[in-house]
Amino acid sequence: MIQKRFKCPGCSEIVTFTGNPGDSKIEPCPSCGMNAQVRFVIPQDNVNENAIEVTNLTKVYGDVVAVDNISFNVKKGEIFAFLGPNGAGKTTTVEIIESIREPTSGTVKILGRDVSKQFNEVKELIGILPQEFHSFERLTVRETLRYFSTLYKRHADIDDIIEMMDLTEHANKLYRNLSGGLKQRVGVALALVNDPEIVFLDEPTTGLDPRARREVWSVISGLRRRGKTVFLTTHYMEEAEYLADHIAIIHKGRIIAEGSLEELISKHGGDVTMRVMGCKDIITAEEILTDKGFKVIKGVNSDLSVKIPYKELVLEILSDLRHACIEYDNIDIRRSNLEEVFLNLTGSRLSEEGGEN
Amino acid sequence: MNLRIIAVDFVYNIKAWMRSRGTVFWSLLFPVMLILLFGAIFSGLGEAKYTLYVQDLDDTSMSHMLIDMIKKTGIVDVKNVSTDKPITDYIKERNIKNLLVIPSGYQEIVNGSFMDDSVVVNITYYYDPAEQQTNQVLDNVISNIIHGLNMRLTNSRSIINVKHESTITEEYGFIDFFIPGMIGFTIMQQSIYGSIERNTKYRKDGILRKLQTTPITRYEWILAKMLFMLFLAFISTTVSITVGVLAFGVKVNINLLSIIVIVATSFLFSGVGMIIGRFVKEEETADMAAGAISFPMMFLAGTFFAVDAMPPILQGIARVLPLYYVNEGLRSSMIYSNESPAILDAVIVLVFACVFFVLGVLVTRWKED
Repeated sequence: MIQKRFKCPGCSEIVTFTGNPGDSKIEPCPSCGMNAQVRFVIPQDNVNENAIEVTNLTKVYGDVVAVDNISFNVKKGEIFAFLGPNGAGKTTTVEIIESIREPTSGTVKILGRDVSKQFNEVKELIGILPQEFHSFERLTVRETLRYFSTLYKRHADIDDIIEMMDLTEHANKLYRNLSGGLKQRVGVALALVNDPEIVFLDEPTTGLDPRARREVWSVISGLRRRGKTVFLTTHYMEEAEYLADHIAIIHKGRIIAEGSLEELISKHGGDVTMRVMGCKDIITAEEILTDKGFKVIKGVNSDLSVKIPYKELVLEILSDLRHACIEYDNIDIRRSNLEEVFLNLTGSRLSEEGGEN
Repeated sequence: MNLRIIAVDFVYNIKAWMRSRGTVFWSLLFPVMLILLFGAIFSGLGEAKYTLYVQDLDDTSMSHMLIDMIKKTGIVDVKNVSTDKPITDYIKERNIKNLLVIPSGYQEIVNGSFMDDSVVVNITYYYDPAEQQTNQVLDNVISNIIHGLNMRLTNSRSIINVKHESTITEEYGFIDFFIPGMIGFTIMQQSIYGSIERNTKYRKDGILRKLQTTPITRYEWILAKMLFMLFLAFISTTVSITVGVLAFGVKVNINLLSIIVIVATSFLFSGVGMIIGRFVKEEETADMAAGAISFPMMFLAGTFFAVDAMPPILQGIARVLPLYYVNEGLRSSMIYSNESPAILDAVIVLVFACVFFVLGVLVTRWKED
């Protein structure tokens, strides 16, 4: 049995499903009831095998240490998110793994092969989407895919890729005439022409509008369903939350936290926040909650919020309010998220543009 | 209208511009270079000198006097040609474009004219019809000197005549001169700018990073691009020749030498483009750098007018520019069918091509620092 986590598109709650590899079933979200299709496609024998092993990797430019002695592993079949602000060392790290840059020290192994010695073998096994990638402007989508496909010994079927990326109606359009979202989808498609085992996507949704970003996310989720290992660098918290099985947070060249979303939140996140909205007797409610040891924060419109260490306490609080005959309009329970994890770890927030503030 | 916003925008534009040092450098250097160059050509920075080869078959005091008179004008650089070979051989072998032949018996005939007023001696001026400006100047100089001599000798009658002969067996016009120049210039532009695009835009767009992670090697990629550049070179050559033939009736000989020069030119300037693209990384700045190199070269290397018409300093500069040998090689091989100078020019272009292309390949890197 394996567990699979989703961020519910209806209520944003992170929910966990359990199933056997190969299963495909429709499950309702326990919080809001919205149905979601869950596929458990990760082959069991892959679960503990490493696709990428990075050991003591360091990159120094003059006096600047861009990557500071980092080590991590990426398991086969997972989406690994390398999350951090601009300038944290994400792209430098991924480009060293892709052998575009030389490390100052440290080793990188891809599928058991040392990239500094066996990169020619590795090239056939990986596909990359570089940061801010723009392909040949005057080639059509199909021509571009064919061009890159001819460079490899291994080939995926171009028509399959076009269909999988939902590019069929754009296949004969010039690359220059595509929207930003479509260009990124073509970029991901180009990373698949050799049917790679590992796909590197460096900031694949930067600069895209929310709709185009979701389209690319759907494509990336599709890669996981096909059993690909995905190494994703991003500065979008939501992207890592939505897509990643495993997240490493890099800050100032160092990995400051690593684990699944659940692990990161439970280790570095804050308490669950419960908000009671439109409370009819706010004074009594505040007294009850303060007596139980909660710190109560009053909001506008007779709202009040309390931080609770675990969500099971919600039922207890609601029961106390009912016993005191206190009515309210609604309640909202928000669990901690990656943003809070990052804030707790670094003391700063990540902006939409990838900066820190 | 908010003047503060305009002022802030203005200041930030200047700041942004000044932060791109390459752009500032080329924006300022390029016009300065052109001003100096054209100033030198058109305002006589250093007196222009025209080379005139002289074959003195008479070798007497009177023939020496004629040569001295030509030298004393100060604008003609006289170079003597020995008398051991027929003049047509010299013209072919050394690609001589302006030559004066004083016939044997010149002094004797002139002296005899005092007794017999019917005798006449012809000196022959060989010229290249394609070099109109040079011809005009030298023809004027020679005609005025001969006219003065005739007046001094007889005060009326012309004893000495100037006979005009073309240095080439067929008549050629400016268009015959211009088409090879345009072919050389076009290949140069295509190759330099093509290389720059591949080395700057492709780098910025991540295409080079992407290619580096695919099985294609740097050498395979450069070779593939060179094939494309050769294709473009032959296409543009074909178009230029076709227009020349159909519109102006130009007679063109496509031979091995001209093909060698075209291929070598493509490699040569692709190498130049690679070197520029490696060291000037911003696409816009690299384009400006390419312009700063190729445009002065276009004017200096005899693309539109003969190098001989330029001041000696600029002629010296022209002779170290690769495009000069491309132009001369293409003219000699395609138009004038002068094999010996064409071979020499082709060899020089090949040497330039080897040096610049090898350097270009060596400096072109895919790996990031």
